[in-house]
Amino acid sequence: MEKGIIGKSELAKLVEAMAADATCLGPVKDGQDTVLAELGPDTELSFDYANFRLPVKRLFFPQSEVTCVLRDGQLVALPPPDEKTVLFGVRPCDAQALPYLTKIFSDEKYEDPYYLKRRENAVIVSLACHTPCSTCFCTSLGGSPAGRAGCDILAFDLGHELLLEAETEKGKALLAAHEALFAAPTDAQVTAAAEQGAAAEASMAKIETDGITEKADQAFDAPLWEEIAARCVACGVCTYLCPTCHCFGFADEQVGNRTQRVKCQDACMFPLFTLEASGHNPRTTQGQRLRQRIMHKFSYTVKNVGEIFCVGCGRCVLYCPVNIDLREIIEEVRK
Amino acid sequence: MTKMQDAQNRLRETVKDLFAQQKVDLVVGFEAGSLPLRTRVCFLTSADEADRLVWNAFCTNNPAVYIPRLFQRPASPREEYKPPKLGIVAKACDARAVHKLLEEHQAPRENVTIIGMPCRGMACRDKVVIQAGDEVVEAVESTEGAVEIKTRGGASHRFELQDLLQQACLDCPQAAPEHVDVQIEGASRRDTTRRYEGLKNFEAMSADQRWEYFRHELSKCIRCYACRQVCPTCYCKTCFADMAKPRWTGAGDGLSDVMFYHIGRLMHQAGRCVECDACTRACPVGIDLKTFTRKLGKDVERLFDYVPGLRPDEAPLLCAFEDDDTEEFVTDG
Repeated sequence: MEKGIIGKSELAKLVEAMAADATCLGPVKDGQDTVLAELGPDTELSFDYANFRLPVKRLFFPQSEVTCVLRDGQLVALPPPDEKTVLFGVRPCDAQALPYLTKIFSDEKYEDPYYLKRRENAVIVSLACHTPCSTCFCTSLGGSPAGRAGCDILAFDLGHELLLEAETEKGKALLAAHEALFAAPTDAQVTAAAEQGAAAEASMAKIETDGITEKADQAFDAPLWEEIAARCVACGVCTYLCPTCHCFGFADEQVGNRTQRVKCQDACMFPLFTLEASGHNPRTTQGQRLRQRIMHKFSYTVKNVGEIFCVGCGRCVLYCPVNIDLREIIEEVRK
Repeated sequence: MTKMQDAQNRLRETVKDLFAQQKVDLVVGFEAGSLPLRTRVCFLTSADEADRLVWNAFCTNNPAVYIPRLFQRPASPREEYKPPKLGIVAKACDARAVHKLLEEHQAPRENVTIIGMPCRGMACRDKVVIQAGDEVVEAVESTEGAVEIKTRGGASHRFELQDLLQQACLDCPQAAPEHVDVQIEGASRRDTTRRYEGLKNFEAMSADQRWEYFRHELSKCIRCYACRQVCPTCYCKTCFADMAKPRWTGAGDGLSDVMFYHIGRLMHQAGRCVECDACTRACPVGIDLKTFTRKLGKDVERLFDYVPGLRPDEAPLLCAFEDDDTEEFVTDG
């Protein structure tokens, strides 16, 4: 089944049916925010949100996870979790980031089983944005508020009902498995969805990003990095909220009488990031760290895996405590 | 011209003077931000940059956080130490933080010129967004005491600043910045009678309820350390939370590790936190840190009659002693 219409009032039935063999997560109101939370039989879904504060990458690349334990003097790898999940309400920017991350966590030489198993076990149902925020700039980076990249199903909020369109075999299979709950969409409904997507796209301000990789390379020694980084406080907000950031480190920890190796998210903005055991740090200034962050996203990943590692979700812009604005950095670099 | 613009102009002229008299070679203040309801900290190195400075109800950052970094000694002893002559634009909370840092030898006193601003309190962005009910796309502080905004949906609203004040401003123990080197003329807030009113709900909770609230809030933590990094009095070169030998607390977002980090940081802030709420504003997941810092501050005030940064000549709390201090609590029993 490729497309289906379901009334919002019927969603609880769909969730119940899916919950039989998968953990379902969806957008749930939590005070003023909407979070991606587990859906119970009575959980009310929220459709009144821009995006989750935290990026969806955390479902596949969590902030921390135990990868091995020391058992009888041997390091024993723990298996990745086998849980099947259905993620509902993922915005297209977050979905677009997932194939980028897969390129990092899986190549000809290495595979990260923890990321890959989780991704394999998940069905991503994106929800197209009808009202992008003024800080969103996905269209400036090859994305769209109705973008289809990275999801298994793209859903459109048509008011009282949702139109679901399968993008992958996994998506088709999910719709087919619950066919009875869906109606065939009318032409009017399909058109309404397309128009909603086009209107959302048109409403967004665009920033110029052509040639950003070459410009970033040329700007390596420019003074702008130290100037902007003068106010950077070296926290991890931009990195931890970014859908495409993926640096991680390992920490060996003693918990009671157990020794475990924990894989943790890391941020190049932290002063400790390149601190070597000798005490030497090749990046001594915050300008060097900021430059690394920008170069990694706009130059190095382009060379390594062929993608700019930014999907224009705007979280770094919104949540930076000192108002460092990536859109301004892109503009400065391009000059 | 609004009164706020008066103060802004007086600030700009004062800064130009300070540069001209060579009293400063670096000024940290606020300039326009790229988002509505925001300004950003700026670093000026000459008088001709002074017109970048702004002063309004969105000047929420605490610029004192940059002092340890600006006065850091070079890594090599062979390199000459050239500390700046710093001018720092300061609200009352910022000035308290500066004094705490001076007391802790983070900068030579003679190198810091505190420019006290007429502060009527700052607008809480969350309050504005809640009252507007929609994304704010434009915000202006118009005539004194009002904030005018436009929303994404096209609506316009006018709010009184007094209805938008941050909790830090409602709780501020000072009617205006004190112990400053230069005071920019203008009306400051004044009402210091509402101090700790915001704690009533938390204080009415039982111990179990408080623990549940603490647990619920901290379960959101992602260990980004924004709280620590924006805090002016958190400046350890290696934070205890980042140490591996000994590993005081795990690096991940497990609740036990998260709590240990936060409890540790709070305890390190006891007697030092100036309650500017920079930590709460910086937190990307909306943890109600200010309730915990404020409760700690209230306990410190109640137990020791001490408010950090309020009376700079006072001995610092918990790190000063006299030879004849009682030792009964150690030797008894």
